[in-house]
Amino acid sequence: MTNVQNHRAHDEAVPGAPVGGILRGTAADGRDAVRGDRNAVPGDREAVPDPDISGPGSAPGTGAVAPDGPGAVVRTLAVVRRIPGWLRLAWTAVLPVLRPVGRWLDRRRLSVRRRWRTSLQFRTVLVTLLIAFIALVGVGAYLSSQIANGLFQERLQQAKQESSRGITQVQESFDNAQLSDVPAASTYVRDTLKLLEVGGADDTRKYLMVLVPGQSNSLFVATVSSGGITPAIIPDGLRKAVQENSGQYWQSMSLSAGSSEEHPAVAIGSNVNLLGTNYELYLIYDLNNAQSTLNYIQSVLWLGGGILLLLIGGIALYVTRNVVLPISQAAAVSEKLAAGELQERMVVKGEDEVARLATSFNRMANSLQEQITQLAMLSHMQQRFVSDVSHELRTPLTTVRMAAEVLFDARAAFDPVNKRSAELLYHQVERFQALLSDLLEISRFDAGAAVLDAEPGDIYAVIHNVLEGAQPLAEQCGSTLTVIDSTEEYGSVVDMDPRRIDRILRNLVVNALEHGDGLAVELYLASDADTIAVAVRDHGIGMSASDVARVFDRFWRADPARARTTGGSGLGLSIATEDTRLHGGWLEAWGKPAAGSCFRLTLPRRSGVVLDRSPVGLPPGDDDDATGNLHLTGPAVTAAQSESTVTGAISVQGKAVL
Amino acid sequence: MKARILVVDDDEALAEMIGIVLRNDGFEPFFCADGAQALAAFRSAKPDLVLLDLMLPGVDGIEVCRQIRAESDVPIVMLTAKADTSDVVRGLESGADDYVPKPFKPAELVARVRARLRPGDQKAPETLAIADVTIDVAGHVVRRAGQKISLTPLEFDLLVALARKPWQVFTRELLLEQVWGYRHAADTRLVNVHVQRLRSKIEQDPEAPEVVLTVRGVGYKAGQ
Repeated sequence: MTNVQNHRAHDEAVPGAPVGGILRGTAADGRDAVRGDRNAVPGDREAVPDPDISGPGSAPGTGAVAPDGPGAVVRTLAVVRRIPGWLRLAWTAVLPVLRPVGRWLDRRRLSVRRRWRTSLQFRTVLVTLLIAFIALVGVGAYLSSQIANGLFQERLQQAKQESSRGITQVQESFDNAQLSDVPAASTYVRDTLKLLEVGGADDTRKYLMVLVPGQSNSLFVATVSSGGITPAIIPDGLRKAVQENSGQYWQSMSLSAGSSEEHPAVAIGSNVNLLGTNYELYLIYDLNNAQSTLNYIQSVLWLGGGILLLLIGGIALYVTRNVVLPISQAAAVSEKLAAGELQERMVVKGEDEVARLATSFNRMANSLQEQITQLAMLSHMQQRFVSDVSHELRTPLTTVRMAAEVLFDARAAFDPVNKRSAELLYHQVERFQALLSDLLEISRFDAGAAVLDAEPGDIYAVIHNVLEGAQPLAEQCGSTLTVIDSTEEYGSVVDMDPRRIDRILRNLVVNALEHGDGLAVELYLASDADTIAVAVRDHGIGMSASDVARVFDRFWRADPARARTTGGSGLGLSIATEDTRLHGGWLEAWGKPAAGSCFRLTLPRRSGVVLDRSPVGLPPGDDDDATGNLHLTGPAVTAAQSESTVTGAISVQGKAVL
Repeated sequence: MKARILVVDDDEALAEMIGIVLRNDGFEPFFCADGAQALAAFRSAKPDLVLLDLMLPGVDGIEVCRQIRAESDVPIVMLTAKADTSDVVRGLESGADDYVPKPFKPAELVARVRARLRPGDQKAPETLAIADVTIDVAGHVVRRAGQKISLTPLEFDLLVALARKPWQVFTRELLLEQVWGYRHAADTRLVNVHVQRLRSKIEQDPEAPEVVLTVRGVGYKAGQ
C-alpha cells in the first residue's frame, strides 16, 4: 500500500542544489511510492541531504513503532491486514461457483502434483490464474503508484504555493516590524503566524517557528506553533537544511492526530528573519484527505482485481472444460474400444470441431468394429471349417484305414500283385492320415482354436515315454539315446500340457535320429528356479546357416533329396513351434554342417512367467562344435555363443499368427 | 458266449467295417444308425458294451450316452472325430468310460473293447475303507455312512485301485494302466474326468475332496 507521505524530494536539500528549492524529483517520488508498500512513513522523515538516512534500507518496518510517524503506517497495515479478509470473503462468495471444480478435484482424490501431471484442465486453469495474478498485481501496483503520485504532487504543489505566499507575507510583516522587547515580539509573531493557519485552502495547515540555534541575540522569540506541534516532530534533515540555507524546503512526515491515529503530512520549511535573528518557519500540511482518497481507490482496485482474477479463472475453467471434455470423452471411449467394447461410440453434438472429432472417431470405430468382426467371423468360420473337415474326413478315413489294415493283415493269402497293392495301400493310408492330422493341427493353431491345458507334471516322465516310443527307430538307425539329467537341485516339475510337450519332444527326437547318421543322440535336461529346458543334440549331418534360418518353416525339408525313413509331413517343427508358443516357451535351433544340430526347448516352470534365460546351453555342455549357426528366439546363454554366427532371430513367442 | 456289442453310428460304411473287424475278433455286433432309436436298440439288444459315435442324427451321442447311463452300468466307448478337449471331456462327463479318436486302427478299437469287457477278476471277499467310505469289493458295493452309492464298474475299479494302496500316489499313467488296462494310452484326460465324476458321487464336497486327493504335479491318492 502506498502512502502519500512517502513522497519526498531527495535532491532538494543536497548541498549545492539551487537555493530556493524548486521542487523536483518526481521520478524519485514514483520509485518511493512503489516501495512504500511495506515501509510506510518512517524513512520519509529523513532529511534528504544525509545519504545515510535517505537510504531505503532505513525505512522498512520501523514506521510502525516510530513514535512520531505511525499514523499512515497503521492505516496502511490495517489495509494490508484486511486483504486476507477480503480474499476469504471473496472465496466464500465464489465457493458455490467453484464447487464443481472442488467436486471434480475430490473425485480424483489425487495429489496436486499428480493432478498437475494428469489434468490438462487443472494445469491450464492454474497457469492462467497465476499469470493473471501477476499481471493484475503489476497493473494494480502501477495504477496505485501513479494515483498516489498524482494526488501527492497536486497537494504538494498547492502546499508549496500557499507556503511560499504565506512565508513571503510573514517575512514582509517581520521586516516591517518595529519591536523592542520580547513580549511584544512574541505577541507580534503569534499574531502574524495565526494568519497562516487560516490562510490556506486547507483547514488543517499548521505552523511552527523556532529559533535557529547558535545565535546570540537578546531579542528573540521562543518557539511559536499551532496546537500539538513541537520542533521534535520536524524531521532533522529538513531542519538542518532550513537552518543552513535560505530558501524553501519540504519533506514528508507523519503527524499524530489523536491518541492512536497518524496522518501523513508534508512539512515545508523556510528561513525567516526577525529583527536580525534567524528563525525556522515550518508550515505543516495534513494530507489525511488525500490518504483517505488513495486508500479508497486502492481498496477498489484490489477488490476489482480479485473479482477480475476469479472471472479469468472461471473463463479459463469454462473454456478448457469445453475443449478438454470431448477429449477426455474420446480418451474414455477409445480405452473402452481398446478393451474390446467395440460398440462404444462418442456422442455427437452440434457441428463444431468437437462434433467433427466425434464423428470421425465414430467412423474410425465403425470401420475397426467391422474389420474386427469380419476377422473374428473369418476365424470362427475357419475353426468351423477345420472342425467340419476334420469330422467329414476322419469318418471315411477310418473306414479306409480299417479296410486297408484288414487287407494288409490278410496279404499272405494274396497273389504277389494284390499283396503289394495291399501293402502300398496300407502304408500310404498311414501317411495320408499323419499328414491330415498335422494339417488339421496347424489349421487349428492358425484359427486360434488351440488352448493350453496346462497342469504341473514331471517332464521327465514325458521324456521317458518319448524315449520308449523312439527306441524302435533308434535301433533301426543304429543310434543310442542318452539322457544327461541335471535337475537334481530344482526338480523337473513344470506347468505343461503333457500331450503337447510329448508331441514336441517326440518330434525333436525323431528328427535327431533321422538326421543323426546313426551316431549318438543326447538329451540334456536341466532346470533352475524358474525355467526348465530340454536340448536334443545329434552329431549327424548338421545344418548350414540358411537351413537353420528356415528350419521352423512349414513344409521345409533339410534335404529334399535325402531318403526319408519315417516320412514326416514337413509340419512337425511348425507344430512344435506353436505348441511351444502356447506354453510361453522358446524353441531354438543350432546347427553346424557335419557337426550335427541341436534343438532346445525352454519352458517357464509356472504358466505366465516370461522367460529370460535357459538353463541349458545351445549347444549344451563343453561342446567342441560350439561355433555354429543359431536360430534363437531368446537371449543368448553360453559364452560359446558369443562367437557364433546368429543367422536368425525370428521371434517364435509372442507373435500372433492368425 | 460271444460278447454282444451295440455299434451306434450313422456312417453305414464305417459301421459295417467295424462290424467286420469285431466279428473277426469274435464279438457279436448289433447296429443302430439313429440317435433317436439308440435307446430302443440298447434295450432290445442288451449289449455287453456300446460303441457310440458322438455326432448322430436325431439325438446326439452325448444325450444317448446319458440316457443309457441312466438305466445301465454297461461300458460305453465313444467314437469321436473331434479330438478337441471340450468334446472329449463332454463325452466322458456324460458317462462314457473311454473314447477312441478317429481315425483308429482296428487293433486299437479291439484293444479298447477288450479292456472294457475284461471279466472282473473273481474278487476275494475284501472290505476296504477310505475316509468314511467303505468298499465291499466282492459284492461291488460302496457305502458312505451306511448309504449305498451307485458307481459304474470303471469308477468302482478306480476307487478300489486307489483304496488298495492308500500309501501310494498314483500317477495318471499308472491308473490308466491299472484301471483301463492300457500300456501306452496317451490321454490322461480320461483319468481326470473320471476322478471328477467319482468325486461328484462319493465326496461330500467335491470342491474339497477327502476320499480321492490330488497330489499336485504327480497324480492322485486315497484319503486317510
